Amino acid sequence: MAAITPQEAKRGRFWQQKSTKRTVAAYLFIAPSFIGVLVFLAFPVFFALYMSLQHWDGITTPSFIGLGNFVSLFQDHIFWITLRNTLIYSVVTVPIGTLFSLGVAQLLNQRVIGLKFFRTAMLVPVVTSALAVAVIWKWIYDYNNGLINDGLSIFHIAPLPWLSDPMWALIAVCILGVWMGFGLNTILLLAAIQNVPDTLMEAARIDGATGWRRFWRIVVPLISPTVLLVTVTSFTASFQVFTTVYYLTNGGPDYGTSMLTLLVYQRAFAQNRFGEAAALSYIMFAIIFLVTLIQMRVSRKTVNAASEFES
Amino acid sequence: MRVEVAPEKVLVRPQAGTRKKKGLAKRISQKTAVYILLIVVTLVVIIPILWMLTTSLKTEVEASTFPPSFLPAVPQWKNFSDVFTAVPFLTYLFNTVFYTAAVTIGQLICCSLAAFAFARLKFPGRNLLFWIYLATMLIPMAVTIVPSFIEMQAFGWLDTIWAMTIPGMFGSAFGTFLLRQYMLGIPKELDDAAMLDGASPLYVYWKVIMPLCKPALTALAIFTILAVWNDFVWPLVMLQSDSVTTLTLGLANFTAGGSQTFVSTPISMAASTLTVAPLILIFFFAQRYFIKGIALSGMGGR
Repeated sequence: MAAITPQEAKRGRFWQQKSTKRTVAAYLFIAPSFIGVLVFLAFPVFFALYMSLQHWDGITTPSFIGLGNFVSLFQDHIFWITLRNTLIYSVVTVPIGTLFSLGVAQLLNQRVIGLKFFRTAMLVPVVTSALAVAVIWKWIYDYNNGLINDGLSIFHIAPLPWLSDPMWALIAVCILGVWMGFGLNTILLLAAIQNVPDTLMEAARIDGATGWRRFWRIVVPLISPTVLLVTVTSFTASFQVFTTVYYLTNGGPDYGTSMLTLLVYQRAFAQNRFGEAAALSYIMFAIIFLVTLIQMRVSRKTVNAASEFES
Repeated sequence: MRVEVAPEKVLVRPQAGTRKKKGLAKRISQKTAVYILLIVVTLVVIIPILWMLTTSLKTEVEASTFPPSFLPAVPQWKNFSDVFTAVPFLTYLFNTVFYTAAVTIGQLICCSLAAFAFARLKFPGRNLLFWIYLATMLIPMAVTIVPSFIEMQAFGWLDTIWAMTIPGMFGSAFGTFLLRQYMLGIPKELDDAAMLDGASPLYVYWKVIMPLCKPALTALAIFTILAVWNDFVWPLVMLQSDSVTTLTLGLANFTAGGSQTFVSTPISMAASTLTVAPLILIFFFAQRYFIKGIALSGMGGR
């Protein structure tokens, strides 16, 4: 072996250095993110935990009350109504939205002419802010002049109290939820479907599998990681719905569309019940954590080997 | 022999023929059904947006007549100038652009730095830290929003540009994950070669890896722009003054009557149009990147 020249020794110096120096370098790379997480995420998360155990109006000195905030929430019927509404909203919008998106993505995959046009149209709501969407839909749901009630009266159907009746308001909010998530999920699923190898589909066709069977037996299992991604993100997003209900109904009428994040906001900033707001947010956290865990567990059996979260 | 084969052929051929004809008819009707469904779905998706556009040009009377007219008789451009006179729209626009740019640049830098370390460097606790970081994505915004408000108050950042930029600039778990997954797909030989030549990790990060990450960086930029531009909760909690308000918050205050006066439907639709138009325009021109970016995020960044 030829002797290493000084230049060569100098070259590649960093990578031959002791691992401590390399470790320091690596930590410097993650330092900005780490500081950000510490200050703007970890601190709030632990402070919320502290707050949840205090009686605090945000101004005077907080006093420790143990689980008192949780107890008073569990005794509060508004909490239960809100939890019920949020669960209904998620349970309605996530499956309907996902199935709908899956179906339309499959339609778009049929070598349609004008694919680009359809895809563009479906993405417009994705770039539109939830608040602007709420402004538009508040008017579409308008009792007297709204587009939907106008449309219904053409078929001689009496106008529906979209935003003034608790049940109809919840339905209205659910419809809007599906509408908002639809575009992004469709494009996500379409991208996944387009990645399914043509040869597989051809083989199935030759074997005589019908379109329906091909879709459920080949396409859906192959894109299951994306389906999982869509359901997990849709669930966490829907469970935290805020902007649309804040603007459309502000939780009303009669708590008919009260949602958890909105209630946290109201408890903290409208009623100065900071401790209760924090306790409520931790209940949300627990539910989201549990449901996501269950989704991952259940899907471990069904999602194929190319899992989303492999490292 | 021939006599035996012939009946078979006779039996088979007409069958094949009808099957083909049936297939064609079926295929045509199937295609028609596909298009009808697609058009209906597209209309449902797009009509609210179009309705906003056309209403923004109507008179108040036109907006509330029955049956509704789709297009205004005379486009009322005045509705738009009314928005400009009623609220400091250009200030809102400038603020929003500024916050979006600051946060996006911060995200791109911080996420890519962290992603490089997680994808390319070896250090103790790497996987543990990465998984903890990923798990933070499960923390609902409701948990952090109230203490963040108190924190910003303590920093004296409430109702300032600092609350709108600094907390968002330090990267995110989503962005780091997206970029890390993408970087894992880049052949390791590339940085090995640079390292043998004596390049520092910073050099490898900036000169070797970053240029190859453009698609993932574009995707992250798009998602960040969308998130910051359209965000409502954070500005709602942190801001009060007009001078720092964003477009979405300004729209909410304006249309919900926060500005004391009753706002007519066409004017609130004009305000909504002005709020969403910049992003929709950008989207039309950069569509290719949007779709690629979404597809990329769906593949977990690969």
